[in-house]
Amino acid sequence: MKGSPEDLAPRRPPLSQVSDDLELARALLRKDRKATADFVEAYTDTVHAYVWRRLTPRTQVVDDIVQEVFLAAWRNLERYTGSGPLKSWLLGIARNKVEDHYRDVLGSAGLVDPHAGVEEILSEEIPQESLGEESIEDRTERIILMLPADYRMVLRWRYWDKRSAKEMADATGRTEKAIERLLARARDQFRRHWSEEGRS
Amino acid sequence: MKSSDVLQRAAAAERPAPRASSTLKSRLFSALCDEQASSGPLMSLAHCKSAGGKLCVFEELVAISPIGEGLKSRNPCNVCHARLLGEHVENAPIYWPGCPYVQFQNR
Repeated sequence: MKGSPEDLAPRRPPLSQVSDDLELARALLRKDRKATADFVEAYTDTVHAYVWRRLTPRTQVVDDIVQEVFLAAWRNLERYTGSGPLKSWLLGIARNKVEDHYRDVLGSAGLVDPHAGVEEILSEEIPQESLGEESIEDRTERIILMLPADYRMVLRWRYWDKRSAKEMADATGRTEKAIERLLARARDQFRRHWSEEGRS
Repeated sequence: MKSSDVLQRAAAAERPAPRASSTLKSRLFSALCDEQASSGPLMSLAHCKSAGGKLCVFEELVAISPIGEGLKSRNPCNVCHARLLGEHVENAPIYWPGCPYVQFQNR
């Protein structure tokens, strides 16, 4: 289907009336630049929001990964069969790209010795002081942004993307024990920042 | 409450995210068009129009010019200042209808 731009295209209604994602995909494969613009306009906010929630505050990385998602989508568009929404298909690509980034960061980071610092982590309990106007979710986000990148990413991967320590270990080439230790230390740092916030 | 419980709770909440910048959308569009052009000509402007696409004033001029189809299938946005502004300036001062870089402005 790709590479036949001179085939006369069927009339394409404005995007607001397009319910058939497959038709939009076909228009892209015909290299219709107007359909390409509609595609970018329709789906960039959704993909950007997903990537931003995982990788903020790395704004440049967020933009780079969103671009990688769209280029990968174009290169694989012939595989899109229309069996599900185009949005879900794109978010699937986005998830893979974000996980590639997690893997690169955690795979290349000098992870802590899995036996180091065991005695330092005494409790995982979060102090129950008043949050004031702030919600638990807002404070969690604020504190996560204070953490080093490897701690932040391992927590996102575990809790936001719901990957087990074993899955993360398999993806990064680390041992499951090393990932569990990294998770424990990341949670400990998180708890310490939370406690300090409560005291200040 | 354990830290893992707090993290699970925060992860379950759908945090509002900012819209993508218009400069990002502009760069995405340019990159996609370049990628499409790398494997052969783009759909001609006349065919884009017959498929329901709205051409900008410059594309209309290219479409009616007495030049070969090969030239008409190139991406005229590559030499347009709207592309330059769209890719580098948020809320760029470009307004004419039919221009994708205008379409991407968050206003």
